[in-house]
Amino acid sequence: MYKIILAFRYLVKRRITYLAVLAVAICVFIVVVVMTVLTGLVIDFRQKNHSFVGDCVVGTESLVGFAYYEDFVKILEQSYFVEGISPVIKSFALVNPVGSERNVGVEIMGIDAVKHSKATGFGKTLYYRKDNVSKAFKPAYDPNLLGCVIGIDLVLERDAKSRYPYGSGPTDIPLAISCFPLNAKGALAKADAGLVKTQTFYYSDNSESGLARVDGSMVYLPFEQAQLLCGMAGPVKRVSAIHIKFKPNVRLEAGCEEVDSLWQSFKREKADEKQAYLLEKVTVQGWKDYRRAYIAAMEKEQTMMTAMFGLVGVTTVFIVFVVFYMIISHKSKDIGILKSIGVSNVNIIILFSGFAFLVGLLGSGVGLFAGWLFLLKINRIEDWLFERFGFQLWDRTIYAIGDIPNQVDAKVLAVIILSAIVACLVGALVPSRQAAKQKPIETLQVTQL
Amino acid sequence: MLKLFLWLRYLRKRKIVFLSVAAVALSVALLIVVASLFTGFINVFEQSAVETVGDVVLAPPIKFGKYPLFIERLEQTSAVKAATATLSTQGLLYLGKGNVRMVSVWGIEPGRREEVTGFKRSLLKQKKSPDEPSFKVSGTPERIGGFVGVGVVAAPDEKTDEYDFDAVEGMVGQQVVLITSAVTEPGATEGTSKLSSLKKKVVPFLIADIVFTGAYYVDKTFIYLPIEEVQKTLYPNDAGQIADQIQIKLSPGIPADVAIAQIRGLWQGFVDEQLNGDPYLKRYTDIETAKQMQSQYVAELRKQMGVLLLIFGVVSFSVVVLIFCIFYMIVRLKQRDIAIIKSCGTASSSVALIFVGFGACVGIIGSAIGAVLGYAVTKNINTIEEWIRIIFGLKLWKSSVYMFSKIPSEVDWSSALPIILFAVAAAAIGALIPAIVAARTRPVEILRYE
Repeated sequence: MYKIILAFRYLVKRRITYLAVLAVAICVFIVVVVMTVLTGLVIDFRQKNHSFVGDCVVGTESLVGFAYYEDFVKILEQSYFVEGISPVIKSFALVNPVGSERNVGVEIMGIDAVKHSKATGFGKTLYYRKDNVSKAFKPAYDPNLLGCVIGIDLVLERDAKSRYPYGSGPTDIPLAISCFPLNAKGALAKADAGLVKTQTFYYSDNSESGLARVDGSMVYLPFEQAQLLCGMAGPVKRVSAIHIKFKPNVRLEAGCEEVDSLWQSFKREKADEKQAYLLEKVTVQGWKDYRRAYIAAMEKEQTMMTAMFGLVGVTTVFIVFVVFYMIISHKSKDIGILKSIGVSNVNIIILFSGFAFLVGLLGSGVGLFAGWLFLLKINRIEDWLFERFGFQLWDRTIYAIGDIPNQVDAKVLAVIILSAIVACLVGALVPSRQAAKQKPIETLQVTQL
Repeated sequence: MLKLFLWLRYLRKRKIVFLSVAAVALSVALLIVVASLFTGFINVFEQSAVETVGDVVLAPPIKFGKYPLFIERLEQTSAVKAATATLSTQGLLYLGKGNVRMVSVWGIEPGRREEVTGFKRSLLKQKKSPDEPSFKVSGTPERIGGFVGVGVVAAPDEKTDEYDFDAVEGMVGQQVVLITSAVTEPGATEGTSKLSSLKKKVVPFLIADIVFTGAYYVDKTFIYLPIEEVQKTLYPNDAGQIADQIQIKLSPGIPADVAIAQIRGLWQGFVDEQLNGDPYLKRYTDIETAKQMQSQYVAELRKQMGVLLLIFGVVSFSVVVLIFCIFYMIVRLKQRDIAIIKSCGTASSSVALIFVGFGACVGIIGSAIGAVLGYAVTKNINTIEEWIRIIFGLKLWKSSVYMFSKIPSEVDWSSALPIILFAVAAAAIGALIPAIVAARTRPVEILRYE
C-alpha cells in the first residue's frame, strides 16, 4: 500500500515529474497522430488492393496465359468454399481515340463484368453502371455498341479536393484498341493487319479503384473481345488468370491452400494434354502475395518511420532517467527511513518502477487524448489551412488520397502506450537500483540531516 | 575565464550532462539525415530531368516542320549552346516469346542529343567509344537500329535491385518488333471537324544499344529510334522534317529566364516566317526549363520534407526538456558554488550567463557530434541499406518505388546549418530557467552556518 501512496505522492508533489509526463505526452501525441495516419493509409491501400484482386489468384505473368481454364473453373464452382470466380485476360494495348493522332499505351483486362464483380470489388469502382454491373460494357448512349470501362485517371483529372468532374453520362468516344495477338508458343500470331489486331470500343464507364497505377493505365474490355484481341480465343482457349473470392467464413490461408491443392491435382490430370506446358508457370497466390510488390513499399515506409520514432524516443528515456535521478537524490532520507523499517531492496525498486509506470501511464493518457482530439479535427484543420493558405498535407491532384485517415487503431494505440510505459520503466531502472543500494546508516546520519 | 573553467569542470564532473549531449547529437543527426535525403532526392530528380530533356524544352501543342532551320537559328544565339529535336509516340514492343511491353518511343538525333544531354554516358556499349552515339548495328548497316531502356528488356533482381548487365548487353543485335499508329490522313488543328485517320504500323528493328540512366521510369519506358525513321512511320505522307519537341542546352552562365525570353522571341519569328504564323503554335507552345516542368512535384516533395522535419522537430523538443532537467539538477546541487561566486561580487546576469553559455556549449558539442554522425550516415546510406538487406533481408530502397537506383548520399549543408543553429539555441533555451534560478540564489541564505 505504501508503494502506491508514495508513488502518487511523488507524482503530485514533485513538480519536476510533470516534465517527464510532458515529454512522454509530446512523444505519444506525435506518434499517435503519425502512426494513425500512416496505418490508415496502409490499411486503406491494402483494402483497395484486396478489393481489386479478390481473395486468391490462379495465374501466370506470361502474356501467353494458360489453357484448360474452363475445366478448372468447373472444379472451383463445385467446391464448397468459393463464392466468386472470374477468368481474366491481361495484356498491353495501344489505344487511339478515333479521329485523333494520339497513341496511348495501356494495360487491358478482359473480364465478364458480373463474374468479376462477384470475385472482386470491380462493380463498386464503376460510376455510371454501379447499380447495374451487367451493363458495364453497354454505353448508355447506344447499348448496342461494344463498350469499354476506362481507368478514371486516363479520362478525368482529379481536383484539389480529390474529386473528379463526372458528366451526366459517358461521352461518345470511340477508341481503337490494338494488341499483339500471341499464340500458345508466345510467338506473334497472324492477325488482320499483319501482326496486330485492332477493335473499336466505345467509352461506357469509368473505374475508380483508388489505386493510382491501376486507374492511370487500365482499360477493361469484355472478356470474349479481349480474348480475341490477345490471340487467346483459339481452339484451346486461354486466360491470364482466374480471380477467386472465398465464402465469408473461409480463412484466406486455408482457402488458398485448398485452391492450390485443387490446382496441383488438376495439373496432374492435364499433364498429357497438348498445352500442358503452359500450366507449369501458373501460381496460386493469396491477394497479399499477389500485390506484395506494391503493398510492401508502403509497409516498409511505416517500418522506417517507426524506427525513426524509436530513435527519437530515446530522448524520453533520458528525461525519465534524469527526473528520477533528481527525485531519488532528493528523497534519500525517505528511502533511508523505508529501508530502516525493513523494506527490501526489491520493494524500493518496485516503488520507483511503479512511479515510472504512473508517469508513463499519465503521459500516454495525456498524449493519447491530445492525439485523438487532433485526429478528430485533422481533416477540418487541413480544409481550413487549404482555404486560408492553400496548404494541403498531400496535393490531391498528385496523390490518390481522399480524406486524411483518422481512425484510431486500438492495436496501434496499445503498442504506443506499452512502448511509452516500457520507455519510462527503462529510464527509471538505473536510478531505482541506485535508490535500492542506498544504506540507511549513511543517509540517516545526523550530519546528513 | 571563470565561465570556461566552470563549464569544463561541470562537463567533466557531471557525467549526466553527456546525456543531454547525446540527445542533442541524436536529434541533430536524424534531422540532418532526413533533410539531406529529401534534398538529395529532389536534386537528383531535377538533375535527372535535365539529363533526360536538357535545360530548356520547347513543346508546341502539335508537331511542326522545318526544325533543322529552327535549331540552326537557336544555336546562333548566345543563350543556346546546343539543341536537338525529338518526335514522340507510344507503342507496344514485342521482345520475344510471350514478352510484350508498352513503351514510349522517342525519335532522336543521337549526335545532337549527346551535345544537349550527355546521352552517350547512359549507353552500355557505346559509352566508352570516342565516336558520337550511333544507331548502327555492326554487320547489318542496312537494318534499322534502336536504343532500348534497360528496364524494357529486363527487370532488376528482386533482392539486390540490380540489373544483370552482362545478360542485358547480350541482347544487343537482337531483333524486336514495335507497333504504333501511322497518321495516314491528318486531322484539322482547330475549328473544323476533320478527323485524323490512323493505321497500325509494325516496325521491326535491331537493338543497337541499351540505355541505363539510373532513373527507373526512363529506363523502363523509353525506346529511341532515329527521328527520320519515326517520322517515316508516323507521318508517311509528310515530306518535310517534323518534330514535336525541341530540347535545348543553354550556354554556361546564362540565366534561364533570359534564355527563355530569347528562345520565345526566336520561336515567334520562326512561326511567322516559316510556319505561316500559325496562331495555335504561337499561343500554346510551352517553353520551360526542365526544372520548371517538375516544379509541382518538387514543391510537393519539399512540403513533405517540411512536414517530416516539423514532426521530428516537435519530438526533438524533448531535448529542451531534458536539458532543463539536467541543468536544474546541477543548479540545485551547486547552490554553494553559485553562492560563493556571487559572494565574490559576480553579478546575477553573469551567473545566469554561465549556465546559458554552458547550455549553448552542450548544444555546440551535441550538434557537432550529430553533424558528424549525420554526415557519416548520409554518406554511407547505400552501404547501410545494403547491410540491412544482408542481415534482415529487408530491401528498403527499390528503384521501382523511389525512381532511382541509388539513394542520394550528398549532405545538404544548407539545411544542416539551420538545424545545428536551432539545436544550439534550443539547448541554450533549455538552460534558461535553471540559469535564472541560479542567478536568483542568495548567498546569505545558502552560506549560513546552520
